[in-house]
Amino acid sequence: MAENDVLDNVLDPVGQPSGIFGRISDPTSVNTGVVLDPCRQPTQKLSSMEGQLMAPRLDSLDGKVVYLVETGFHGAKDFMEQAAGWFARNMPLVKIESRSTQGSIFTDDPALWAEIEGKGDAAIIGVGG
Amino acid sequence: MTAKFANYVARDTDSHGMPVRYAYPPYPVGWVSKEVLRGYVDGNDPVTGRLLMQEMVEALTHPLTDDEKNPKVAKRPKRPRLLKKDTVENYKRMFIENGWTDGMPIELPTEERVAEMLKGTDHPPDEVIGRMSVTTHEERYEYTVEKVAVNAVMAGARPEHFPVILALAASQEPSMPSSTTSFGRMVIVNGPIRNQIAINCGAGAFSPFNFANSVIGRAYTLMSFNFGNAKINQNFTATFGNVTNYNNMFAGENEEETPWEPLHVEKGFKPEESTVSLFRGWNINHLGMGTAGPMGTSNRMIDVMNGLPSMVPGGTFVLDPLTAKHLKELEGFKTKEEFRQWLLERLKKPQGPFAMRPATINLVIVGGEWNPMFTTTDFTYTQTVSIDKWIPKKGICFDKKPIRMPAPVTCKDGTCGIR
Repeated sequence: MAENDVLDNVLDPVGQPSGIFGRISDPTSVNTGVVLDPCRQPTQKLSSMEGQLMAPRLDSLDGKVVYLVETGFHGAKDFMEQAAGWFARNMPLVKIESRSTQGSIFTDDPALWAEIEGKGDAAIIGVGG
Repeated sequence: MTAKFANYVARDTDSHGMPVRYAYPPYPVGWVSKEVLRGYVDGNDPVTGRLLMQEMVEALTHPLTDDEKNPKVAKRPKRPRLLKKDTVENYKRMFIENGWTDGMPIELPTEERVAEMLKGTDHPPDEVIGRMSVTTHEERYEYTVEKVAVNAVMAGARPEHFPVILALAASQEPSMPSSTTSFGRMVIVNGPIRNQIAINCGAGAFSPFNFANSVIGRAYTLMSFNFGNAKINQNFTATFGNVTNYNNMFAGENEEETPWEPLHVEKGFKPEESTVSLFRGWNINHLGMGTAGPMGTSNRMIDVMNGLPSMVPGGTFVLDPLTAKHLKELEGFKTKEEFRQWLLERLKKPQGPFAMRPATINLVIVGGEWNPMFTTTDFTYTQTVSIDKWIPKKGICFDKKPIRMPAPVTCKDGTCGIR
């Protein structure tokens, strides 16, 4: 095959977009009998992601309950402690609730999200990366 | 997120159609003092140049924009089967410049070559095998038997290698998951196919002296580029990368010389089944030697494993057959399980984000009996996949004269084809 030969039969090597997000705990997995940890990163389908809206914003944080959630990355807990200190110094009327997600950094924590939805007004989640 | 990940999260936010508001402290947040972190919260977001904490407050209090109220999920278009007509020279450049290869020369995947590769299995070309992403959260790319054949051709594989490559694809596990920590990989084949297609299990098994080990291991990496959608500095964040990413420490287990049961039998497969097992971790210490005296080898293994700066408890030892025989015959470990229990009682349990995972120790027998050595890794076993379902009913599709590099070992029954 010479360098200047013209070809019209070379195949694309890249996979097709599947519309499925997330790598772990996918009940639609095919061709593998592996049972994966169901507590880990959830999967989402493109169709179920449409229409997910952000929560309305608050007028002010004064008197509101703000959750500071650290997700387990190195330094995240220490950073959130400093953020809590900043609120205490600069916005003392904000009620801070500090939490850590349960499990590993890749584990979903539905119980915590439910708690925030029920008892909180806002949440700052981090620090990733 | 930290500032280093600003582009990463922008890409992810777009693809998910969910405009989360971010503020970015400087990087890194880990491994720095509390005084440095105090400086972060009192300072600016390096991405926007604005006060970091003020940005966070505004993220919670500024009204939503019209775009935020009407998020749109980006839908990636379906890709055509064939690339646009071009010259061989331009194709070679295109494959490298698009990040579809490891940069080394490839075989162009023409329809003829892919059709030839497809003779290596009975499965139809359009059969969907799985989906893959190098991240835990991005859209996964779906791939068929034909797509796997395309990548196998690119890697330089032959149809006899195709069942193993299909099994790797069926794992749906990328060879190099994205992490700043730079994951490495080890792939171990068990069962009759090792000898049939001349996979090296013996001397230099992890070195580039074997055709099957090289091209199958490379195909796994190419699939991770093209099915896992690995893009450096976009969604692939390994700060060093890992030298094993080139061919993933692909080798076979030296079943003929192991005094214990083979790895795949431990994992629930029959001895006559062919399988591929996957391991993932970071650290490899190749130079493992025992010391004189009772329990000299086993105690030295504990010392080396405890010296690895791992984030996970346990790990995987690769033992030369001489070491395995020594442990059984001279140190009295009749089974792998007996030795594993002994090790588990003595290994340190690292603390960290992964410390809650069950402790596991794996023992793999590879090597040419040049010395009773062992390699210590912090690799975690992830899964074993059957190869047999991908082998044609008529048997493995060999070339008329299979290509074989100079053999470090030959199998005992002649099935490897090395004469």
